[in-house]
Amino acid sequence: MAGGYRQQPGASSGGTRKDGKRVAGKQKFPPPGSGGSHPNMGPRDLDSIPESVGGKEPQPAGSHIHDRYRTGTEVGKPRALVDSYAKVTGQAWYGDDVRLQNEIIGKILRSPYHYAKIKSIDTSKVEALPGVLAVATGADAPNTFGVLPVTKDEHAMAVEKVRHVGDLVACVAAVDEATAMEALNLFEIEWEVLDPVFDPRKGLEDQDEPIHWRGKYHVGTTNVQKRVFQEFGDRSLVVDPTASSHGKWRMEGVHHGFTEPHAVVAHWDPNGRLQLYTPQQVPHYAHRALSTVLEVPMHQINVIRTFVGGGFGGKSDPFPHEMCAAILSRKAGRPVRITFSREEVYWINRGRHPSYIEVKMTADDEARISGFDIDALIDGGGFASFGHVTSYYNGVLATAPYELGSFHYTGARVWTNKPASGAMRGHGAVNTRCAVEVGLDEMAEQMQVDPIDLRLANLLPPHSRTISGFRITSNGMRQALERVREGSDWDKKFRQLPLGKGIGIGCGFFISGSGLPIHWDPNRFPHATVHIQIDMDGGVTVHTGAADIGQGSTTAVAQVVSEVLALPIEMIHVRSHESDTSPVDLGSYSSRVTFMNANAAIRAALDIREKLLNAAWEMLGYHPDVLVLNDRRIYYKHDPAVGVSYLEALHKAQEDKGSLISSGAYRSPPMGGVHKGAAAGLAPAYSFSAYIAEVDVDVETGLVSCTNVWAAHDCGKALNPLAVEGQIIGSCHMGLGQVLSEKMVYGRTGHLQNPNLLEYKIPSVHEMPHVTPIIIESSDPEGPFGAKEAGEGPLLPILPAVVNAVYDAIGVRIRTLPLSMDVVWKAISSKTRSLGGIEATELPSPRLEHSLLQQTLAERGAQHRERDRRRQRSEDTSAYVNGVLFGFDPDRPLEDQVEGWKSAVEPVPEQLAELGLAGKAWLKKEQRQMGGDK
Amino acid sequence: MGEEYVKMTPLAAHTIWSAVVNGQMKQAIAPSNAILLDVLRDEVGMLGVKRGCDLGTCGCCAVLIDGEPRLSCLCLAGQVQGQNITTVEGLAEGAHLAPIQTCFATHGGSQCGFCTPGFLMSAEALLTVNKNPSRNEISCAIEGNLCRCTGYQQIIDSIEAAAAIKRGEAPALPPASNPHPNPHPMGPEEPSMPPGHAR
Repeated sequence: MAGGYRQQPGASSGGTRKDGKRVAGKQKFPPPGSGGSHPNMGPRDLDSIPESVGGKEPQPAGSHIHDRYRTGTEVGKPRALVDSYAKVTGQAWYGDDVRLQNEIIGKILRSPYHYAKIKSIDTSKVEALPGVLAVATGADAPNTFGVLPVTKDEHAMAVEKVRHVGDLVACVAAVDEATAMEALNLFEIEWEVLDPVFDPRKGLEDQDEPIHWRGKYHVGTTNVQKRVFQEFGDRSLVVDPTASSHGKWRMEGVHHGFTEPHAVVAHWDPNGRLQLYTPQQVPHYAHRALSTVLEVPMHQINVIRTFVGGGFGGKSDPFPHEMCAAILSRKAGRPVRITFSREEVYWINRGRHPSYIEVKMTADDEARISGFDIDALIDGGGFASFGHVTSYYNGVLATAPYELGSFHYTGARVWTNKPASGAMRGHGAVNTRCAVEVGLDEMAEQMQVDPIDLRLANLLPPHSRTISGFRITSNGMRQALERVREGSDWDKKFRQLPLGKGIGIGCGFFISGSGLPIHWDPNRFPHATVHIQIDMDGGVTVHTGAADIGQGSTTAVAQVVSEVLALPIEMIHVRSHESDTSPVDLGSYSSRVTFMNANAAIRAALDIREKLLNAAWEMLGYHPDVLVLNDRRIYYKHDPAVGVSYLEALHKAQEDKGSLISSGAYRSPPMGGVHKGAAAGLAPAYSFSAYIAEVDVDVETGLVSCTNVWAAHDCGKALNPLAVEGQIIGSCHMGLGQVLSEKMVYGRTGHLQNPNLLEYKIPSVHEMPHVTPIIIESSDPEGPFGAKEAGEGPLLPILPAVVNAVYDAIGVRIRTLPLSMDVVWKAISSKTRSLGGIEATELPSPRLEHSLLQQTLAERGAQHRERDRRRQRSEDTSAYVNGVLFGFDPDRPLEDQVEGWKSAVEPVPEQLAELGLAGKAWLKKEQRQMGGDK
Repeated sequence: MGEEYVKMTPLAAHTIWSAVVNGQMKQAIAPSNAILLDVLRDEVGMLGVKRGCDLGTCGCCAVLIDGEPRLSCLCLAGQVQGQNITTVEGLAEGAHLAPIQTCFATHGGSQCGFCTPGFLMSAEALLTVNKNPSRNEISCAIEGNLCRCTGYQQIIDSIEAAAAIKRGEAPALPPASNPHPNPHPMGPEEPSMPPGHAR
């Protein structure tokens, strides 16, 4: 029926003719951004409405495929997480809340030795204990696994040797916990204890029995798991600097400290399929690893992600205990539940790498950053985990947001006999970022310029390329710096506060999704896939594999689908728990979920939208180009009274087909350089952040407390401002823990001394400063509705901001983290001694008298501000690569313009002598014929 | 068996434990040295009470004993024999969520949600005795609870908002800007337990 249903015009919109007859006047068209369900609302905030749809918000460069549909009905509104009602009623089911019929309890026997060979295991006494239903040892699962395909070095249980205290040796399942605990005492094991290595510096040396063999790529006979060398730019610029900073840092290992201990339930169902319940950030990798270890095809395994009680990277490896539960359950024929104690959580670790970092920086006579040399030696613990990537991230994620004359990075990750380090919020970037930002502060001090102006005059603009070839698209760094400067009253406080009070700045730069998936598939396999299904009732079921770990990815997906289909969010049901029903999603790591998964969801929703509009075309006779899909109604653009309801269009579209189903996928575009390691740190978009922190330092005791933080983060577009603010404040909390109190303490014997939440000091509510979250929206051309990440990037700047603020307060640079009382007190007392034994209360506060350079910087900053604005708004679309600030032509290869501009990924022999600590790994030759154990 | 070993759990006599949990009389046969947390989770089936550390450091297992917040991991079940225990499952008033629950959802007080039950109990205990707490008083009330996600700020916001509702200064919150109230308070994410959840 062409014409379809005509809406009765309201008196106000239609009016009456002279003869008294009411006419179908034009209904008031809802202005974009007004909220589609309230057609008579006035224009809302024009500033937040994009230019393309009539608002005033500047458009980003490039094509922005979603703007047409961006009406702001759902996206951009503070929204309670869709699963939060399950959480506040106690109905959210986490790992240990899965209770299956007839379940038994599994326990794991852990190594008492740091490093030892297992000569034999006798399990006969365990098996004889009444109540024990299954026992398993390494012999039951000889296949190796690991999160990265290139470093599969883990077993479900130790096969030949144990590599740290707490390493898995065997496991047992029994009718109850007490019996299982008792059974652990009955294993009889013959050990051959080996010499352990705890200090990562020792790991660089040759050893008789390295912790792992890297096959034919083993570096000497050392414990070096991965070494990296990168050099870009013109090294001649480093000579004769105006200012320079050289800092050697010692950063302790940090744990994620999520509140939910690991737990897993495995159950082989009556059809012989494995049902595995686990709180996983990346269920897909666990799925792959389970298949390898259990030698069962992936389609015979259903990985069910329970609610995840915090992840932060710590639940993103496939874990050996997941294999153990599956093996025990297969043996016992009953569901097996394994729950970790808090101590076991620390033994499985995967926290931030303890690091030795050395940073050398130089600035030239115009205060341009001419040299950036980073050397990072990171302590990987017993296994590789994500370490391959971490080794790169420690360097490459420091190449922005500043324009550099040259960049030089040497990194090494070594195995030691400690619990394995891995990925943690701000993966690999946090420690070097802190060192680099403090270096900038020191150079600003030397040049007597304001550190914010120094940064503002050296930023890379939007739509540019970093020195190592990363593609920067949207870039809100400048606004972030300006907003925190204004918000904190920086110009009235910096270097003007009394002794003991300080203020400091730090910036951050982080990836928003990794450009290459970990399990890279040459067949252009998408990174994220989302299925949408609508049945006759009109409810929308979204199937996604994205793991919501509390960050709100489920909510983000529901929001974007609701936005595109113009349906209330209550009609969107997200199913994301089971691998049986959800398409493959690579999981919650690298800040990729919102970016990639929401993009896939938008694509799927656009497909559904097209089907609905085509059905309406058939019914109304108007082409979809002139139809509007708005709050559960499809109508003719020029006469809103002509239209059909959503359900009518849906039923039409379902004729002879049944449910409307569509699939959307996202895969990042090809980009980046071609050198070895070019893919590390490559991302479809990058987030930027700037924080200012205020601290109080008690000069007599060394107690540092952070009182105020202004935190600006460029997340592209806040799909859910409530969640973004939560992420910013939460990141501050975690970063403050690392900079002020948290560390994993390994004693002289190499034992972890604080594997509990009492002695591992996570900030409580009283240590938390007041955080003012500031959201910067730079609208990324590729992000879903312009969004980028907000989960990890906001953690980076808090560390340097606090360290710099401590310098502002007491005039002492401290390069040991955390800044616990003893560390700060020692630094203060050595300073007072060097000043002739003055009292701590008489310490001079640092002061700033602007030099002539300050004027240069302010002028350059103002010019760049205009440059960035024009580039962001696509008024200037010329090429820009790192190096333009130093006078190079962006349209020609830099190597052709200056002799000495280079890109190198291996040191030349002359360089070997002057490499830093981690660089020493390059002194060894790769042993190509090394056999090794497996 | 040959070798001697120390048994982890002394085999003590079992007792019949009883208490009023969320307004209902509950009984369980439990070892006399059983921890309240274990009895609540494993015997009574109140899985909303979370186990985070077993040391009294995280506060996830907080419950109300006769209105007083207590850590159930540091409490023997026998100590609270016959007393009134409220867990997160007992906070809602019938079909209506308590203000504190709604506010945690709408103000971002809950991210991963694992610590949320503990925070809710601490907050509820505070709001019962103090109708108009300052931010500092709220901080003191939740100092025993650890949250790794939120940085506490939005938790304090949530508790302040709930206090305002309880005082009648703010309307009981409908879900913000939601023209179509959801008849199912659990929201769109599937709230149900996995198949086979017995208790």
